[in-house]
Amino acid sequence: MSYYLATKKELIDWIQRLAAENQLYFPEKHGEASYRFNRVGPKSEIQFDRYIPTVVPPVKLLVPAREELLRFRTDAEGKTEVQPSLDTSFRVIAGVRSCDLKGISLMDLFFKDGVPDAYYLARRENTAIIGYSCNTPCDESAFCAAVDSLDHTEGADVYVTPVKEGDLLVEVKTSLGEKLTAGVDWKKCEDPEARRIGAVTARPEPFGRSFPAPLPDTMKIVADKYQSAVWEKHVKRCFSCGTCNLVCPTCYCFDVVDDLNLDAASGNRSRSWDGCMLPHFAEVSGGHNFRAEPAARQRHRVNRKFTYLPEKYEHGAVCVGCGRCGRQCTSHIDIFDIVTDLIQEGSR
Amino acid sequence: MKPKVAFFDFSSCEGCQLAILNCEDILLDILNLVDLVEFRMALTETAPRYDVAFVEGSIHRDEDIERILDIRARSTYLVALGACACIGNVQARSNFVAPAVNYGEIYGEEARNRVQVDPDYWDLWSHTRVRPIDAIVKVDAYLRGCPIVPREFLHLVKSLLQGTQPFFPPNAVCVDCKMNENECVLERGLTCMGPVTWGGCDSICINSGYVCDGCRGTLPHANVEAHIELMREHNIDDRDIRSRYRLFMGAEPIGRGV
Repeated sequence: MSYYLATKKELIDWIQRLAAENQLYFPEKHGEASYRFNRVGPKSEIQFDRYIPTVVPPVKLLVPAREELLRFRTDAEGKTEVQPSLDTSFRVIAGVRSCDLKGISLMDLFFKDGVPDAYYLARRENTAIIGYSCNTPCDESAFCAAVDSLDHTEGADVYVTPVKEGDLLVEVKTSLGEKLTAGVDWKKCEDPEARRIGAVTARPEPFGRSFPAPLPDTMKIVADKYQSAVWEKHVKRCFSCGTCNLVCPTCYCFDVVDDLNLDAASGNRSRSWDGCMLPHFAEVSGGHNFRAEPAARQRHRVNRKFTYLPEKYEHGAVCVGCGRCGRQCTSHIDIFDIVTDLIQEGSR
Repeated sequence: MKPKVAFFDFSSCEGCQLAILNCEDILLDILNLVDLVEFRMALTETAPRYDVAFVEGSIHRDEDIERILDIRARSTYLVALGACACIGNVQARSNFVAPAVNYGEIYGEEARNRVQVDPDYWDLWSHTRVRPIDAIVKVDAYLRGCPIVPREFLHLVKSLLQGTQPFFPPNAVCVDCKMNENECVLERGLTCMGPVTWGGCDSICINSGYVCDGCRGTLPHANVEAHIELMREHNIDDRDIRSRYRLFMGAEPIGRGV
């Protein structure tokens, strides 16, 4: 592990150098007030200061919205050939904040579980991540500190922390990170821990929104509130449009379809994002829907983040507090408000 | 034997049939597998029975009703092709205005009276009864949109040829929008019908910098109450909200209700 102190300009020049040689993605302004992880070209603007979480998290580069899984063809003798469509191209994702880093770490856990997902892993193993620490909450929607993801650095190959005096502390965390930083002429940092602590203690307190109960208690309350009027309250405004699922860094559900060509001998299999807030998600053959009502779907979604997956993986909250679902919900239904309501319902 | 396929149209611009003719790269392959027996736009022949009938256009007149009943009686599988056949489309806006009012506005007082007293003009009243085809006959599949999405047409054709169940997920346009990483236009204060509208269109209008007008019709689970409330919160007045709902959805129960 190496530590450097770089200036902002040195860091941006380095990212631009990497982008010239690699597929590199960075959050780029898009629309009036949104960001997207876009491929960086010679004319892209690289800046770290202004940022709110991108519309869709960077995990889109590991699990795209739609992807071909395999192609098949049956020849005249009836022999079928199957060709998997694995994407092993090397890419760099830079400017990944801690909430999204934690999202990717959790996705690593989910996609390696059981039968490891070859498509996810092919991309993940060929992806380098440059993380960036937040000094201030990105906006009033964030609650990363409340779910312990503010200082998540695992999964990054290089992690950058803005420290005092305008310098950036660059932690090179993996051998891939060493490769990416080979040849840089940045100042070596002799006291990384002190610098890091300095940056952390200079942050505002509380950092973003916080739940009215500590996280372990919060999670227990969510689990205990299977029957609650809160589940009916917020869904009055819900369109079941699935936005909260689709923009979530830890929602991984997908739908698989086979598409047979007109020759009835060849075709492909693909998958695309799906989400448990969508009305037909839990509908089975014969037409029965296990969660036909939006309230049942919302309860399921919140429990997936605070109860079911944490229990299954013996992990803390699976919500990373990025605030995307609340920020982007057309009706401004916010998982933070739902959980807060559940906590307060008990204490009244 | 190849399945017999026919195309028909009622009140429409025939743009959906044109959209099919535009599927040039795959159209010849499809034509090798089916027997096209009626297609006014591309063919002069007619036939007594159809395995699959594609019907474009909305129903206005009594003659239309007789004709769609006849087509249904002779078809095994009937597809509503495009927004006119599926939901009535923009022409259903005339459901809310008496023909005499339109005539008066355009041709003056004399024309307004003539429309009311001269029986030759009474047929115009049929344009206040614009309906989707499922108001008259059973529809087996809906190809939504103005115009239809060629990918969905192809999916339906393949499913029918392969004997599988075609599936069009009842998801809002928001799903397509998120997959395309669009910034939500409602956040910019624009009126978007996306949250209550059938998706599957790849959010093509929003991708191009516009909003969703709802040409694919309201979803079965559409939360219209919340949608109207949301538009009010964005300071859109009730008249504009009604107009938005009646642009494409005027013949749907919801368009009549708002």
